[in-house]
Amino acid sequence: MKNWWKMFLVVGLVAGVLAACSGNSGSGGDESSGDEGGEPSGEITVWGWNVAAESMELAVDGFKEQYPDVEVKVEDIGRLDVYEKLTVGLASGGNGLPDVVMVESDRLANYYDQFPDAITNLSELGYDDHKDKFGEYKKSVTQNADGEFFAAPWDVGPTGVFYRTDIFEEAGVNPEDIKTWDDYIEAGKTIKEKTGTQMVPIDIAKDDALYRMMLNQQGAYYYDEEGNIDVTSEESKKAFEVIQQLENEELVLNNDGWNGVVSATVNGEVATVPFGVWYSGTIKDQAPDQDGQWGVFQLPAFEEGGNRAANLGGSDLVIPSSTDNQGAAYAFVEYFTTEVDPQMKALKEKGIFPSLSSTYEEEFFTQESEYFSNQQIYKLFSEEVADIPVANYTADYARAFDTMSDTQASILLDGTKIEDALQNAAEKLKSETGREVTE
Amino acid sequence: MKNVSPLKKTLLYFFLFVGVIVSVFPFYWMFVGATNPSGEIFKVPPNFFPGTHGWENFKNLNENVGIIRVLGNSLLITLTFTALAAIICTAAGYAFAKFQFKGRNQIFFMLLVAIMIPYHVTLIPLFEIFSNVGWLNTFQAVILPQAAYPFAIFLMRQNMQAIPDSLLEAARVDGAGEFHIFFRIVLPVMRPALAAVGIFLFMFQWNNFIWPLVVLQSQDMYTLPVALSSLVGMSRIDYGQVMMGTTLSTLPIMIFFLLLQKQFISGILGGSVKE
Repeated sequence: MKNWWKMFLVVGLVAGVLAACSGNSGSGGDESSGDEGGEPSGEITVWGWNVAAESMELAVDGFKEQYPDVEVKVEDIGRLDVYEKLTVGLASGGNGLPDVVMVESDRLANYYDQFPDAITNLSELGYDDHKDKFGEYKKSVTQNADGEFFAAPWDVGPTGVFYRTDIFEEAGVNPEDIKTWDDYIEAGKTIKEKTGTQMVPIDIAKDDALYRMMLNQQGAYYYDEEGNIDVTSEESKKAFEVIQQLENEELVLNNDGWNGVVSATVNGEVATVPFGVWYSGTIKDQAPDQDGQWGVFQLPAFEEGGNRAANLGGSDLVIPSSTDNQGAAYAFVEYFTTEVDPQMKALKEKGIFPSLSSTYEEEFFTQESEYFSNQQIYKLFSEEVADIPVANYTADYARAFDTMSDTQASILLDGTKIEDALQNAAEKLKSETGREVTE
Repeated sequence: MKNVSPLKKTLLYFFLFVGVIVSVFPFYWMFVGATNPSGEIFKVPPNFFPGTHGWENFKNLNENVGIIRVLGNSLLITLTFTALAAIICTAAGYAFAKFQFKGRNQIFFMLLVAIMIPYHVTLIPLFEIFSNVGWLNTFQAVILPQAAYPFAIFLMRQNMQAIPDSLLEAARVDGAGEFHIFFRIVLPVMRPALAAVGIFLFMFQWNNFIWPLVVLQSQDMYTLPVALSSLVGMSRIDYGQVMMGTTLSTLPIMIFFLLLQKQFISGILGGSVKE
């Protein structure tokens, strides 16, 4: 009998520990909420990552001045982790999801196509009133085929070429003379010759960011507006011709992953880095001692006088339909994305560039940035936003991204002919997605 | 080793030295990163010396993700899990190895099949079960699903087969009850195997990522891998904080291993000598 007691004790202990663990119960969720008509109240949970989550946190005080009865809880979760949790939650019918979640613009279509009923239609809640506050590009990614908002536009990533002023000076190259990609390649050759520094970092096997910027700049993308595979287009060929030429002139520094690009930037191994506006924050954070040694110019055009605006990155806010506090969730989304104050705070303190066009009239945009050689960098980026061409990311964005990164590697590293490589990529995408290839 | 020539000895020590450098350097580099400001580890020429920024990194990290609380969560979850799973898996392994019952081999076969199911397949059904029970965002939701860990049961069963039946029969003849036999005879004999399985279970739960990520929802409930992962955002990464976090998450494993090292190694040796 003695042994039975011991066993009982062990089981009891284990049960006790488990019971103690359960003291802390679920977030948000079961709070009852403001009904339609009444003022929103209750608690909402918001998911975001990194500086984006922090900037939503900054908005909470201002929001509470307008809606004192709503409690906002912002959860800072890793970027890919948000997607992991969001996918599991949506797949299991909305269990455990927050009331508001941020999603990158190029991933939005993927979720909306897979789970159209699980995402709240914002137009039905009155978001159409804010239609005119955003540029065409941003509207095209947040609206469905019927022109209804399923996400609220937040930040946008106008692109630019960040360059080292001291290296350019040493080589005697004037950045203002770089108007086309041909000029860019010529400048690269001069810089390489005079200083030994390479022109541009590319993570050849894993990221086709430069190619995507070039596509978007020319008004093309992986897929055309009907969703057909468009990687064999003239624009696509031109983009790879430039990239191949850069590689042939030995101006490309092949990097391994994000950390490799940051490392090359900090160490002055490259003279320029073409990226989205958000990279300005990275440079400032990781190379604080290179104060005054950086500047920005817009992407070179493909022909003299051509478009120099493109987008890379950016994200938007989505309200899962499973929320039991739609009123409060919408109030927060509307406040955060359409009022100048929270958007300016996000820009000033966290470097997140708003797509809300009314913010561009703020004085802040004309300020000179000391770090970037007293250039008005925000003005440069904001003037670009209206010219960003529309891009159709589609639900198969991730597949195309992988395929085109591989294609980039086969062109640059294996020396495959551009036309053959693009043809192969189109065939591969066709069999993977079942989409048609444009002629 | 008495008559080894000096040349051989020098060579031996040389290779051992290189081996030590190669395996220890990543840890040292992590420590250097943890005590320097972000961006410092990318400098060329690299800075090989620990800096003075460690406390700063720790403070920021604690402000950011509440690292002390998170460390506590991870320890509580992992230790509870290890103890619970060790008992369950040992008992199950014992039953599979030493008891005759109907369907034993069939059940064991199903267990082997269970080892082969990829984790992601069970993710969504499991998530639905726990959300229906109302256990999302609780520690037991992290601990329970893998408490009967198929591979650990398999491992224990294989080890248990080495116990001679005559030993158990002798105990039965002497009037010992089944629980007495299990706790007093089987467990002590199995100590090395138990230590090996214990380390395995500890490592599994300590590094467990996807499931806690999905099931834990508020920051004060996070485990270390989940909290560390939240540090890596889009473009702005504070490498000092990340390195400090990884340093803190590696330490307990080192301690746990050092404590059980003797057991662990004798567990490996135990298999090499057959009576």
